[in-house]
Amino acid sequence: MVSSLIGCNMYDVVVIGAGPAGANAAIDAHDHGLRVLLIDEGRDAGGQVWRPKSGSILKASVTSIERKGNQLREHLQKSEVKRKFETRVWHIEKSDNGGWIVGLSGPDDEKQVTSRTVIIATGAQERIIPVNGWTLPGVLGLAGSTALMKENLLPPHGRSIVAGTGPLVFYVASEIQRLGGNVTAISTLNSKLDWCKALPSMILKPRLLFQGLCWVLSLYLKRIPIFWRTGIITIEGENAVEGVTITKVDKDWAPKKDHQRYIPCESVCYGQGLLPEISASRLTGADHYYDEKLGGWVPTIDDLGRTSEKGIYACGDNAGILGVTVAPISGKRAAQAVIEDLKGENPGAGQSNLKMMQKFGRAMTVLNIPRSGLIKFIDDETEICRCEGITKRDIDHEIAHGAQSHNAVKSGTRCGMGPCGGRFCMDTVAMLTAHHTSKTREEIGLPTARPPLRPVILDTLSGDLDYDDLPIPGVSPL
Amino acid sequence: MNVIFDIAVIGGGIMGCGAALRLSEGGMNTVVLEQGDIGQGASGVNAGTLSMQIKRVKLMPYAIKGHEMWEKMGDQVGFHRTGGYTLAFNDKEADLLHERMSMKKEAGANIEFVSPDKIISSEPHLSKKIVAASYCPDDGYANSSLTGQYYRNRLRELDVSYIEKFGVTDILEHEEGWKICSGARTVVAKRILLAAGGWCKKLAAMIGADLPIRARINTVTVTERAPQLLSSILGHATGLLTMKQKENGTILIGGGWQGKGTPEQGRGQIDIKNLIPNLQLAKFVIPALANIRVIRSWTGFEANVPDFYPLAGKLANRDNAFILGCVRGGYTIGPYISKLMGDFILGRETEMPLFDPSRDIIEGRLI
Amino acid sequence: MNKGAVSQVQRSEKISFQFDGIDMDAYEGETIAAALFRAEVSHLRDAPNSKNPRGLFCVMGVCQECVVSVDGKIVEACRTNVSDGLIVNRVQYV
Repeated sequence: MVSSLIGCNMYDVVVIGAGPAGANAAIDAHDHGLRVLLIDEGRDAGGQVWRPKSGSILKASVTSIERKGNQLREHLQKSEVKRKFETRVWHIEKSDNGGWIVGLSGPDDEKQVTSRTVIIATGAQERIIPVNGWTLPGVLGLAGSTALMKENLLPPHGRSIVAGTGPLVFYVASEIQRLGGNVTAISTLNSKLDWCKALPSMILKPRLLFQGLCWVLSLYLKRIPIFWRTGIITIEGENAVEGVTITKVDKDWAPKKDHQRYIPCESVCYGQGLLPEISASRLTGADHYYDEKLGGWVPTIDDLGRTSEKGIYACGDNAGILGVTVAPISGKRAAQAVIEDLKGENPGAGQSNLKMMQKFGRAMTVLNIPRSGLIKFIDDETEICRCEGITKRDIDHEIAHGAQSHNAVKSGTRCGMGPCGGRFCMDTVAMLTAHHTSKTREEIGLPTARPPLRPVILDTLSGDLDYDDLPIPGVSPL
Repeated sequence: MNVIFDIAVIGGGIMGCGAALRLSEGGMNTVVLEQGDIGQGASGVNAGTLSMQIKRVKLMPYAIKGHEMWEKMGDQVGFHRTGGYTLAFNDKEADLLHERMSMKKEAGANIEFVSPDKIISSEPHLSKKIVAASYCPDDGYANSSLTGQYYRNRLRELDVSYIEKFGVTDILEHEEGWKICSGARTVVAKRILLAAGGWCKKLAAMIGADLPIRARINTVTVTERAPQLLSSILGHATGLLTMKQKENGTILIGGGWQGKGTPEQGRGQIDIKNLIPNLQLAKFVIPALANIRVIRSWTGFEANVPDFYPLAGKLANRDNAFILGCVRGGYTIGPYISKLMGDFILGRETEMPLFDPSRDIIEGRLI
Repeated sequence: MNKGAVSQVQRSEKISFQFDGIDMDAYEGETIAAALFRAEVSHLRDAPNSKNPRGLFCVMGVCQECVVSVDGKIVEACRTNVSDGLIVNRVQYV
């Protein structure tokens, strides 16, 4: 129960991810006297949504989103939470004394730390449905383009098409315009009716609703065409984007091939919502389940974010895509759980209006749930695994020859064995497997979680070997 | 579904599938029961080394036969004959190398000793600190991730039944032989063959046999595509390192460093305190690895019994229960010994002797 | 043309670096990816199998599409800051 019983190099909490969830969790845990280490791969806190500007920008106007990020960063500055930025966690492992070992790669020499608990706040990654041409230079993830704009104030080059699902298309398009770029058209799979259905939940957060309406209004005022219920079926170009063909879709989002239109452009911002970034929580051995309303696979957690593994907690979008309104509260609640579990105190973090915010977040996520027709956007020759160049035809063939699970498809085709670790093909492979085998996502499963969480240069993992120290075990029997 | 199979093979790895194919060819109505997917256990996650230099002397004839079978499977399993070096970096290792390799050579392996200079001329990226080395031109590797695809295709071609995601929870005696349960699902067969690697202990216990099976949990690491650093497969006199660069440029690093976990707990995990020295040793041997990115590390279970010889024969002296497992060098030897096992169950003469599980199993000497 | 929000931006000092032997400008403190993006270099490497051109994609250090070679090491351009005189090259695969 008492920190001093534990070795002095041991933290009480390591928080992975300094976005709105993780940073708030770290601050609260620290305020309750716990020894906290907050780790993030970025150069400062904020995560993706509240991503800080690059160090190259000395002065620029500040948006309301950025202001929130600045507040968080200032708050963190004032608190004495120990932080490691530009540092990645490549491994999480149960230690022999009941705590956790966290493997790091970063600018300093500390290659691993141990902690009694770990709060995982790794956020989300994009879901991007592969179409022909999606590998061309000039195609950016939808959220990826926000990263470029928030960090560098650089809009995509030339004429941009913004395409995909959910609120992000409108935000991206309005940001491109604000930063002096040029949006040629917006293509969204959603219908106006989808948005009307979301309206009752959105009214719960009038300020956000208003903000969204401002984005859309600004686009209308600039006479930027919005093509509802359409999707990109091909991205054209030889060595870079030259244009896109968009197509009308039916209610299942299957393309209607006789309703197509070619639009020339130089940039495409493209994505279909977010997937919880669960590779860290999976590595701990915690249970996960599939819930499309939460964005896909998520760790099984209790009310406060306790996973099935003792000492592992999850909060923020990696515990279910509920967005930036929910993330700070979910971070505070995870901190509450840790404080309860380590100190036996109940700090009583408020419920505030969590339910309302969750409802709002869920309504936004629902707009992104892939529908069955989306598979028809993927051509036989479309590369699904960008790293290894594995096409839909390869994957279909493997499934037709008996591969019934994600692991089986992966090992037979190499799909997902490249440097990104399957993060951009995993969801599509599961969609295809489900389509061909009628199995559920749970039955298809996920490929086995394996470290490192990101590629890591061998030298940064391992120092030099003193050859004489090499432990020579019993040599294999003759 | 009242099929009564002639035999149920529990375990869909190389051993189980190889035996099932032979049994089916021999006329037995065979079913393979696999807890996960075909070929995704140790058969599918090992480092794929096909090296004569790391085979036990007494198992060498089996390894040579197995190697021939891998070569025949060829591209379908990603077979490559590259030649392989085993390296020593100090006098003690050099002595060990000479003693061991001389015996293996005598047992039929095509092994020669080579000078460090000669190695460097063909493998210029290796450390200059090599003191002694041996070479076998037959050595090579196959791509273990293709094991599942290969055997699944063969089973389908020969119309052998297989059931995936069939984790056996109980094995009961039955008037026809055996009733094998996976939760509420059951399969009835006249005979059973346990070929489930590290999981065999638990399965054998279900029919009252207590076998001294233990499992090692070996770590394998792969890098991303790298410039050409290596053209042969590499081993280390102590057995602590294997390395190969595949056709696509990725480098596989193994050497039997231990992870954590037991077969009963599911898949194992890597152990950071063993992974790091494994990678350090790899970098010691190929210094240019320092700048290459590691993209994945994983573990697989390797079962053994104290004398480190296979269990291949009747189980608990019954005529309708068999076991095949704990084969040291099982990836190389698997295709062959499983064929022998099939012949044994079919009542045929086996080309080479098997390894009776009811022998006195005494702790083997580790040197 | 609308230059709105970007017109008042003040950036840090200019530095220079090399990409595949060509001199490029960058602002101190930005990533290699940002500098190359500004220079409209969108083709960052060729995919290993198909040899198709690839460029910046996820901008979050996940997809590994923007990797470049710096000092013989492969790094993500979107997660690596540029520095004065830095030599950056396209990654070549075997």
